[in-house]
Amino acid sequence: MFLAILAGFLLAFAAPLLYRWLGKWVYVPMALLPFSIFIYLLTLAPAVLAGNNLGELHAWAPSLNINLHFFLDGLSLLFALLITGFGTLIMLYAGGYLKGHPLLGRFYLYLALFMTAMLGLVLAGNIISIFIFWELTSISSYLLIGFGHDKESSRNSALQALLVTGLGGLALMGGLILVGMAGETYTLSELLDRGDMVTNHALYLPALVLVLLGAFTKSAQFPFHFWLPNAMAAPTPVSAYLHSATMVKAGVYLLARLTPVMGGTNEWQYTLMVVGGITTVLGALLATQHTDLKAILAYTTISALGLLVTMTGIGTAPALEAMVVFLLAHALYKGTLFLVAGNVDHATGTRELTQLEGLSGSMRYTAIAALLAGMSMAGLLPFFGFIGKELLYEATLQESPFRWMLFAVSFFSGMVFVAVAIALGYGIFWRRSASPTPLQHADKALLYLPPVLLACTGLVFGLLPGFFVTPLLQRAAEGMLGVEQVFELALWHGFNLVLGLSLLTVLLGYVVYHFSNRLLSYANRFNRLYLFGPANLYQMGLKGFLKGATKITAFIQNGYLRSYIAAIITAHIALVVLSLWRNGPRLELVNRLPELGQLRMYEVVLLLMIVPALIFLFKSRSRLTSIAIMGIIGYSVALFYILFGAPDVAATQLLIETLTVVIFVLILHKLPAFTYLSHASERYKYVLLSLAFGAMMTYVILIVKQYPLDSQLKAYYGESSYLLGQGRNIVNVILVDFRALDTLGEIVVLAVAAIGILAMLKLRMQKGDKS
Amino acid sequence: MKTIILATAIRILIPIFIIFSVYTLFRGHNHPGGGFIGGLIGAIAFVFHTMTHGPQQTVDTFLKLNFYGYPRQPNQSRSLYLMRMMRVNVWRRRKMARHPEIKHRMIRIESVYIIATGLLLAATSGVVGLLSGQPFMHAYWADFYIPVLGKPGTPILFDLGVYLLVIGVVLKITFVMSEE
Repeated sequence: MFLAILAGFLLAFAAPLLYRWLGKWVYVPMALLPFSIFIYLLTLAPAVLAGNNLGELHAWAPSLNINLHFFLDGLSLLFALLITGFGTLIMLYAGGYLKGHPLLGRFYLYLALFMTAMLGLVLAGNIISIFIFWELTSISSYLLIGFGHDKESSRNSALQALLVTGLGGLALMGGLILVGMAGETYTLSELLDRGDMVTNHALYLPALVLVLLGAFTKSAQFPFHFWLPNAMAAPTPVSAYLHSATMVKAGVYLLARLTPVMGGTNEWQYTLMVVGGITTVLGALLATQHTDLKAILAYTTISALGLLVTMTGIGTAPALEAMVVFLLAHALYKGTLFLVAGNVDHATGTRELTQLEGLSGSMRYTAIAALLAGMSMAGLLPFFGFIGKELLYEATLQESPFRWMLFAVSFFSGMVFVAVAIALGYGIFWRRSASPTPLQHADKALLYLPPVLLACTGLVFGLLPGFFVTPLLQRAAEGMLGVEQVFELALWHGFNLVLGLSLLTVLLGYVVYHFSNRLLSYANRFNRLYLFGPANLYQMGLKGFLKGATKITAFIQNGYLRSYIAAIITAHIALVVLSLWRNGPRLELVNRLPELGQLRMYEVVLLLMIVPALIFLFKSRSRLTSIAIMGIIGYSVALFYILFGAPDVAATQLLIETLTVVIFVLILHKLPAFTYLSHASERYKYVLLSLAFGAMMTYVILIVKQYPLDSQLKAYYGESSYLLGQGRNIVNVILVDFRALDTLGEIVVLAVAAIGILAMLKLRMQKGDKS
Repeated sequence: MKTIILATAIRILIPIFIIFSVYTLFRGHNHPGGGFIGGLIGAIAFVFHTMTHGPQQTVDTFLKLNFYGYPRQPNQSRSLYLMRMMRVNVWRRRKMARHPEIKHRMIRIESVYIIATGLLLAATSGVVGLLSGQPFMHAYWADFYIPVLGKPGTPILFDLGVYLLVIGVVLKITFVMSEE
């Protein structure tokens, strides 16, 4: 599994290169990758279906208990097969959809990156790795939504998606860490057995809130649903893949995965049911208010995600069973419909429902795919969607205090789904029309084959539910429930209440479709309500945030070096004085006065150099003199280091002093004449600050010296620097061996500072040129 | 700031500075010294050169590689051509600069590249341990001594990275500051 992920990342970054070599044929290797992973997963499937969980462990940061741990059970396998199988088709489709696009290589890079991240997410067996892959999917989604980066709207949508899901990701990180603390492990397979430990822990509630925040933002649940329709700015293959079949289901996956760990409590159940229910109804309502094909599909996706979350919230065996079946059914038909919508958009140049009609003649295969997917979406008989819908109804009608509420929610969304399915699968293609919408180009094989294949899969699964799907879904539901599940998927359950309700749904759905024009005319009336919607709140929040940031930056970053230094030093003094005041030891100065007699001759001489130099520095009115005096002080300090036996520090100090003076001299003649601009009192303020700082440092050092140095560090380093570090210079061995990581960090800072200086000075020069 | 004494002295001093800085770098493991100090010493040589001759001159003298060459004749054998090119680039550099038919290609070593190389060296020295299953930054030492330089090992490589980075940073700052 590790190799599959690694291969995915490697191929992702090779994509631009492959595009340069292979041109339009780049889709061949890109589609082969998910396909081979798909086959590989299928070879693992028998073991998983037999009830074994496969694991694979690679040490990553074992000292932090973070490992690259892969874990494959029924739930992961279902998602992984979905991701790779769908991925293969999408890779093919994208090759046709974006044919000739100059940035196709980059597009494949992002897409393969996303696919691999998503695969990693569902295969991860360690909650920290889950989080990392989770964030990777957010980032690749950002890049894909913003793929048409020359349009402002798609840049904004991409940023919105990133901010919303990124915020959720941050919450998720906190939540997962809390879960890890409560369960005392980050390993998923161990956590799955410690559900009681987590739910009874004091940290359960905060962890729950944070994890749900993460899952809801990712899966576009109310009130975070608004980013998903905007994300339709992405090219259609992306919308089909990320924003209907896989990425938005990551939140559902997480909830399903954590059901044995965190589920079962009232908080979990009610939150999921309420949020999922609201999302379902809202998504279905909004879907009837739009005429853009992709917008309609986006809102029905939101509605379907809401249903999935609701089912997870109910948490009974039939509900979870219904959830996995509906998840698969939804991925199949919604993916198809998205691809169909992309096809229509590509061929006719419009996505407006009202302008499209009679396309069945000119786009035969696309029309067939749309019809099949539409029937599955509507829940008609031999299709997999029918089984999904039946199970949904059955699950909601189970004995529970809210059964009518839950049923009403799923019934309502089912009705809208039927209406949408008729509009998309029948309305724009098969309804008789005198003037079919003209095509800009004929239907292309690369564009119609993937949706046809997907739609047929939906049909095959529906006709042969026992063949491969049932065992897989059984194991998937088992992953959530923790106990062995046996259920039989069957197409025909006989004449019962559920079948009657299904029929009623279809009938009412047709009525909704029939009156859809009138429903659309009501769309404008809600405009005033949208002002208070979360999308608007997001815009206002973003604007306010930027304004506030500007103000704070203008206040803190005022451009005067002296005020920065003053702020740092003041804060430092305040903190040290505070801790000294509260629990610091008192200085016994009197006892230590005799030590003054031990002063050596050199020390007095150096002191006699430094103190007059300081006084002279205050008096000087020329920069050159000041620099020279600073040099004298610096060199004297270096001499102190030598006296006290720190030759390395002394050497560094000497060299730095030299360099400072030389560099000062280099720029001296460019500086304006030295004048006092500020009032004298301003300067005394800084004198006072320096005095306070000096006094504080002296005090601290005197206190430190008051106690005998009782540390084994010195002995340890002295001993092991030669034995382990193979060097006699302790300072250097510490720098390059024992604490080399710190040094690496420091030199990175140094490099960044150099680049910063470069940027700052170059910017200045350009400004000077303009004026 | 053109002073003849400093300008002449610095020419003679630069090799000494550089040799001394490399020596400081390698002796750092057993005696005072090391990458940071060595790098500063090495950088000071160039800084003084910049101070007396200006940044352009420093770049031309030390941070530019000129390669001379001409296209291969149709009937010339490949090995002969390679040898000619070597001769042009190694033994006859001075003459070639003014030769009319010779094209030359310049590689300017930006100081940012030196910084990047240093950072890369320092980071890779840690990866060596990672590749053989040890933690990041695990030290490896050779079993032999090289006279004057001491024992080679990955920490020395790390120190070399620090050395290059420090030189690069100081050079960059100096060049930016002294540009007109």
